[in-house]
Formats: sequence, structure tokens, C-alpha cells
Amino acid sequence: MNRGWMIFLFGWVTIVMAAAPADITSRGSLVRIRASIQPYDQFRPWQKKAPFGLNGTGVVLPGGKVLATAALVENRTEVGLEKPGSAEKCAAEVEAIDYEANLALLKPTDPEFLKGFAGMVMGTALRSGDKAEVWQLERNGELLRNQAEILSAGVGRYPSDEAGFLVYGVRVSLPKRDDSYMLPLVRNGQLAGIMMGYDRDSQEGSAIPVPMIEHFLKDSADGKYEGFPTLGVSWSPLRDPNLREEVLAPKSGGVLLTRVNPRGTAGRAGLMEGDVLLSVDGFNLDEDGNYRDALYGPTAVGNLIRTRPTVGSPAKFHISRRGKEMDLAGVYDRKAREEVAIPTLQYDVPPKYVVVGGLVFQELTGTYLQEWGDKWSERAPQRLVQLFTFQHEKRADPEKKVVFLSQVLPSPTTLGYLQLSGLVLEKLNGREIHNLQELAETVDRADSGDLVFEFTDDPGKLVLGATEVRAVQEKIGKDYNLPALRRL
Amino acid sequence: MRFGIWKLALVLLPFFAGCGKEDGQLREAKKNVVMIEVTAQVWDYRLPWNPGTVSSSRGAGFVIEGNRILTNAHVVSSARYITVQREADPRKYPAKVLHVAHDCDLALVEVQDPEFFKGTTALPIGGIPDLESVVSVYGFPIGGDRLSVTRGVVSRIDYNSYTHSGRESHLAIQIDAAINPGNSGGPVIQSDKVVGVAFQGFRGDVAQNVGYMIPTPVIRRFLKDVEDGHYDHYVDIAIRWMPLENPAMRKYLHRPNDGLGVVVTDIFSEGSSDGVLKKEDVLLSIDGHPIESDGSVRLDGQPVQLEEIVERKFAGDQVELEVWRNQSLEKVTLTLRPAEMFSMYENLYEEAPRYVLYGGLVFQPLTSNLMGGLLGASDLRLRQTYTLFGQDQLYRETPEPVILSSVLPDRLNVYLVGMAGQIVREINGQRIRTLADVIPALESGGERTVIRFEGDQRPAVLKKSEVDRVMPRIMAQYGIKEVSRTEVNGRRLAKGSFSGEKSK
Repeated sequence: MNRGWMIFLFGWVTIVMAAAPADITSRGSLVRIRASIQPYDQFRPWQKKAPFGLNGTGVVLPGGKVLATAALVENRTEVGLEKPGSAEKCAAEVEAIDYEANLALLKPTDPEFLKGFAGMVMGTALRSGDKAEVWQLERNGELLRNQAEILSAGVGRYPSDEAGFLVYGVRVSLPKRDDSYMLPLVRNGQLAGIMMGYDRDSQEGSAIPVPMIEHFLKDSADGKYEGFPTLGVSWSPLRDPNLREEVLAPKSGGVLLTRVNPRGTAGRAGLMEGDVLLSVDGFNLDEDGNYRDALYGPTAVGNLIRTRPTVGSPAKFHISRRGKEMDLAGVYDRKAREEVAIPTLQYDVPPKYVVVGGLVFQELTGTYLQEWGDKWSERAPQRLVQLFTFQHEKRADPEKKVVFLSQVLPSPTTLGYLQLSGLVLEKLNGREIHNLQELAETVDRADSGDLVFEFTDDPGKLVLGATEVRAVQEKIGKDYNLPALRRL
Repeated sequence: MRFGIWKLALVLLPFFAGCGKEDGQLREAKKNVVMIEVTAQVWDYRLPWNPGTVSSSRGAGFVIEGNRILTNAHVVSSARYITVQREADPRKYPAKVLHVAHDCDLALVEVQDPEFFKGTTALPIGGIPDLESVVSVYGFPIGGDRLSVTRGVVSRIDYNSYTHSGRESHLAIQIDAAINPGNSGGPVIQSDKVVGVAFQGFRGDVAQNVGYMIPTPVIRRFLKDVEDGHYDHYVDIAIRWMPLENPAMRKYLHRPNDGLGVVVTDIFSEGSSDGVLKKEDVLLSIDGHPIESDGSVRLDGQPVQLEEIVERKFAGDQVELEVWRNQSLEKVTLTLRPAEMFSMYENLYEEAPRYVLYGGLVFQPLTSNLMGGLLGASDLRLRQTYTLFGQDQLYRETPEPVILSSVLPDRLNVYLVGMAGQIVREINGQRIRTLADVIPALESGGERTVIRFEGDQRPAVLKKSEVDRVMPRIMAQYGIKEVSRTEVNGRRLAKGSFSGEKSK
């Protein structure tokens, strides 16, 4: 999860590589960001966890908006800006946020607050070997410039993303300073990237490169943020000559599609499992799925799809299907990522729940599973892990959310059910339940008689009396101090 | 309810190395308690063609009637050489295993030389001791070489997991006498009679003064089972049930609030209850013993889980159940059989690991040993298949999932090395349900062998002519004598009748 990944930025390092006096450019381009964070408690969905603060160094853009990482402001209760060198403060609003790309755009609530800030302009993309600086702010607002070197530029993992984006590996020795949860990577006074992670032991960090930031800013410019496109496929390298022969691949190049989401960009363009994907938008792919990037050289196809086009722009594919080459066209989108039964990213979204006579039902999300800790895939109920992990394989209907019994609050109605948890609800009183709304409605409609819950796993069936539930609901809320018995 | 894989920190108690009154009881113990030294060779599931690792350990045993020595299965499992030695007698006599029951951790050892038994009197087997009554534990635990005696009281009589088998739970008695590595197999004696066999305990960092012994009902069952010269497996009722404590649930099932009965929530196909019991049956009595709503029955005045009735029976025996079904009372009879479909969860001993080698690709059936020794918890799909195999009754489709357990690197398979740990779905278009399917499937098909896996993995493709050509090279390089081992003596390879029926 984001937090674990980012915490390294606070490492104690005593060597200061270079400290230079602040110049006018820097003073007009950096602002301190103070975020108060309070995530929801997935195990007690009616409450939030203890709040804590995160502080970063934001980049003022020409025009007066502030660039931040999403990790700095996700699950926030409050975000404030503070001018370096003075205690002048102003609240800020999040105008656009992309949790996958770890980027956010903030706007001060007072339009005059950043008046006089020139802002930092976007620089060019860097490649490995390039020199740059990571900027930090001293307490007094003076600028601390740390020499940095780009070690790598390629597709890598972002804190909360599965697919990967372009990322810079950066070597830099950062002293411990406040406001270092995010830091600008600067070259020639222009923005080259945003440092989002740092390991003090290896003195290496990772930075979000400018092409990512530009994509994000371009997308958010019209006020309607759409995000980075995805292809919606799984693929395997095609180096193995035996495999090439088996799938009738041409002499060289291309990767084997092992799964195609019919709702994704590729699926809607007509690509199929077993196809050999030879080129995307005219860029030929080699056997390992790399295209030749003008700047970075061989680069994973992920960058071609995610950083270059925007949602809605045309996509062109050249494939080989059982030995026959063909062209297919489509439109870039990110439906394969968004239209899922079990969402991965659930920041800033209060978890839904319904309490029925002490039985607590929730909708399954990746965030809930991650609440089980680093080893969530071993610790969380295995059925839930299975449904989440293999949902793309099973082609789960995105409209059918997974409603599950997350825990049982002891009450007179739940006698004998206390040990149960992690059970996926299939039906209530014979009606299939596809989300918590349907569950709540069905409970409300049952005026007397039984509430018969059917689960996919043992013990299969639980029964509560509708009248007894109604009688005890208020008492449960009171006994357990629940602010509400449901959130839909 | 009984098929969960327990993960208690229980440890078995042989001593790897390299209890009474000095009246009748101690005298008898000195005559009959023996030290068992074992050289074992344990198969390596990582390298299934290798003969395995040799190790030595020490445990205890005791002479029972018929000049037989009773001990724990885990003391003598995988033994290559066994010697037994009596207290205060320097002579070591070679011995061999007569019968071994891994599911209840008991074994019988025999000594050819009649000289050994001179002066032994055979310890009689008693009953279940009362709670808080004093018992003495005899054995050869860590800390010295002579007979050791410790005393304690009976702390608890309950079902517990038998860690040696990895999946079984039986009646076990907890005592607070010190039980340490090397006590395993030794008798627990009260009033001159054996009331248990010391077998497992907790590590000191987990719990103190908690030791377990195998009680006499389990011992008697074992001795009776082997009377025909052969040990059969425990039988199992093969259902899941839930306590019937919730008033609304009771009302729904039309049961009065009399504190009796449990509700059947699942029936395992191919098991004893398959076709006889139904979901939502309320079990009211078993062989005439009323079943409380928590699933307990009274046996010899003690509350025990209803499975204890089944536990004491043998394959082919019947059990009568009073069942509340569709609002009427019915009597049903089950014919008991072992739950062979769950044998995947049993730790395997003695038995040589089965495998098929093909072009450096090693195929092995999914077993508890393979999960523990080789693949661990690394691959999520594999772990889930293993964990949910019983619960989801995956055995109906694949009685024995076959795993690509490793790829022995060779020029031939350089592109396949990263694929180990996958579950094989089909080979050359043929569905793989057991290891026995692998060789015929490999022999079928055209010039290329195509192996497909569960999930969205790429297939593994090999040219048959190349495989044939390099197999001698691979076998020589990795020191493998046999291309495959698919038959093992004594193993229920077919896993009952169901595998044959389903694949038709």
C-alpha cells in the first residue's frame, strides 16, 4: 500500500550533497503541503482510523495550481498550503487526482494566495545517465539542492498500480528535512519529475517522470479527468521458438495474448486470446513486449499504451491470428480497469456496510483485503482472496458486486453464529443479492417471518427472524456505538 | 467441521540426537518400557528420484501382549534400521515395523530374537482416566539416557489434531506432566495400567505444561484394526455440520428449543454420507446417543464430539442416525468408509514420491509433502487449490491435481524454467486428472507436446523428437535413474472408485 512504500522518504541521511542559496526561481515555484490524513477502517466500516499528518513539497505550476502526489493527499480530511519562508497558510482543494499514476492537482481556496509565484515550467524527459537535482526546503525557506542522477527510465510499479507506468530510478543522497513526503526533481530550473519514494539504505529513489505529469495535466485541463488508458490484456513473451511455432507466429517480434478482457480496449477492438500482438499504433513489439522508444530505447509496451494516448484516442493493432496477419482498430479506454466487480482502488471512498441484527455485510474491495496486512493473500478469507485475485479470469459481471458477511456482532439474534466471517452472500429470501442496496431493500421489505441468508460456503444458510431483527436493531446500534446501521 | 487444516504449533516428540511409584508400577514399567533408536530416511519431494536424507532419532515404546512393542508412528516412520533396548540392559536388538497407522500416530514393532522378551510381562491397557487424576509418563526424553519418569494430572479430554498425519483429529488427552522430545511412544500409566501413549506437546514458547497422549480408545481401535494383519484407514462421516443454537434457525427447521440436534451443512461426495444425508438434515441421535445442539454426545459419561462414535468403528461398519428431515423423523443408516478424497492433506511417509520427468519438466501430484517441502505458499493459485480442494470438492473434477513442480534447466527448456509451480490442466488436449494421466497424454498428440496450465499462463511447448534426444543427457546430468515413478506399493493410487467413474 502507499504508505509503506512512501515512508522511506524520511530516512536519516547526514551527508548534504550540495546546498545553494535560494534563487528567485525556486522561491516562486515551491510550496509546502500539509495534509491531514484519516483513512476509513475497513474492519469497522462505520468509523475512521486515527488521523495523522503528511507533509510534502509541492510544485507550483504557472497559473497558480499545485502539483502533488496522490499518496500525499489520499484519504485526507484537510489539505493546506504554506509558503516557504513565511507562515502564511491557505487551504487547498483537490481538483484532480489519479491514484494509479500517483498524481494530484491542488487549487488554493484563496486565488490570491500564490500571487507572485511564477511557477515551475515542465522540462524535457530525461534518460538514464542524465543529471538532475532533488529540491528540498530548509525550515527558513531556503532551498537545498541535492545532486541526483537518473539511473533508469522504464516501466515500473507505482505504489497502488498493478500494471506499471514509466518511472525514473534516481540516485540521490537526501538529508532528513521536513516536507519530504514528495519532492520535485529539477533540471535547469525546470520540472523533470516528482520523487515519490526513497530508500535511505541504497540511496535510490523513484520519480514520476514529466511525460506522466504532462499526460495527467492535459487530461485534467478540461475539468473532466479520465485517467490513463489500459489495454485489458495479459500477455506472455514469445522468445521460445517452440511456442512461436505452436501459435504460428511470424519469424520475429510480437507477444502472445493469454487473456483479453472483452470490455477493454483490446477486446473491443476485436483482439482475442491466442493472438500474437505484433504492433501497436505502428510501433513494432519485440518478443519481450518492448517497442523502440525514440528517447529511452527498448521500452515495455505498457508505456506505449498508457502514457502516449489518452482515453478516447484511436488505437491501431497489427496481429497474427493462427498465422494470418491482420489490422484491427479501436478506441483507447480504461473500462477493463474501471468496470470490475471488485474494485482495487478505494481511497477517499467510505466503505459501504449494512448491519442486520448483528450480522455485518460489506461489499468486497481490494482495499478491504489489503487491510489484512502485507500477507493479506494468506490471512484474509481464502474465498474472498480467490474472487478478487482471479476475477479477470472468471470474467465476473462488473454489475454483480460481492456482498459478504464480514463479522458478527454478538446479540440475542446472532446466538450460535458468532464464529462466522468471510462468507459470500448469494441470496436473501430467495432473491439473488448483487449489491448492498439490494440487501438493504430486501431486509426492509421483509416485515415478518424469516430472513434466510444463503452463502456460497459452509454453513450455506443462516436464518434470522425479521421481527426479532427489527426489535434488536436499535439496541445493537446503541450497544456498539454505531453512528449508523448502514452506509449505502 | 473436521477437515480444516489445523495450524497449531504442536510438535511431535521424538528426541533427535544423536512416570509411578517404586512399587509394582515402576517395576513393571522398568521391565516393559523400551528405548527405540531409529535411523530414518526421508524422501525429498524436491528431488523425488533421490533416495532421501538419513537421520537418527530416539523414542520410547512398551511391550504389550503378544510380544509386540507399541509406539508412535512418528517414532518409526520412514525407518531404515531400528534397534530396541530395554532399561538397564546394554544389548540392542534389531527390530522392524509390524504395522504403522499414520492417521492415529501408532505403530507396532516386532523383535525377532525371543531373548529380548525374557522377563517382560506386557503392560495391560486400561480405560480413560478421570480429569485431575494422577498419571505417570515413562520414556527416554532429552536430558539423559536412562528411563525417565514424570508425573502430572489429566488436564483435558478433547478432540485434537494429530500433527503427524497433518489432517486427522481424534480424541486426545492433555496432561500437565513434562513431556519432552524422546518421550514419544512411551506409556502413560495409572494404577498399573496403560492409559495412553505420550505423543505430542507444545513448544515451550507457545505453552507450558501441555502434553498430549493418545487415549486407549484410539489404541484399542488400532490393535483391533490390525488383527486381520493389515491396517486400514480411519473411517469418516464426511459431512460438515453446524451447532443448532440459534432460535430463529431452530424455528426455521421446525425444531423445539430443547437444546438437541445439529444441522448438516455439507455432505462430501464420495464420502460415507453421500446419498444418505442431505443438507439441512437435523441430526438428533447417533447410534442411540442423543446429540446436543453443540454436537456433543455422552460416551462413558464424558461429553465428546459426535464423530467419536464413528471414530471407534471400522470400514464397512454401520452407524444409525436419527434425522429430522422435512419436518418428520427418519432413521438412516450409513455404511462407513475412509474419506479417501482428502488423502491429499495427509503427510506421506515411507512412500516414495511419484513423478514423471519429461524434457527436464518434473510433474508431481499435489500432496501435503509437496506443498510443505517444495512449493510452500509462494503461488497463490496453487495454495488456493490446495486449501479449497476439500471444501470445494475439487476432487470430483481432479482427484489428484498434477503440478509442474520444477524445471531442471537444460538447453532444451531454457524458456520454460520460470514456469514451475503451475497446475497442469491438459497435455496434448487431454485433461489431466491424476498423475496416471500424464504419460499416456505425453505419448499422444503430434510432433509437438503442448502442456496447458490453469489460469492465463502461456502453454509449454516441446518438440517430441528433441525431448527423446536429450532425455539421456538430462538424466545423466541430474543423476536420475528412472524417467518416472507412478506406482507405489500400498498407496491408494486410484483414490477410490470415483476417479475412474468420473473420467468416463
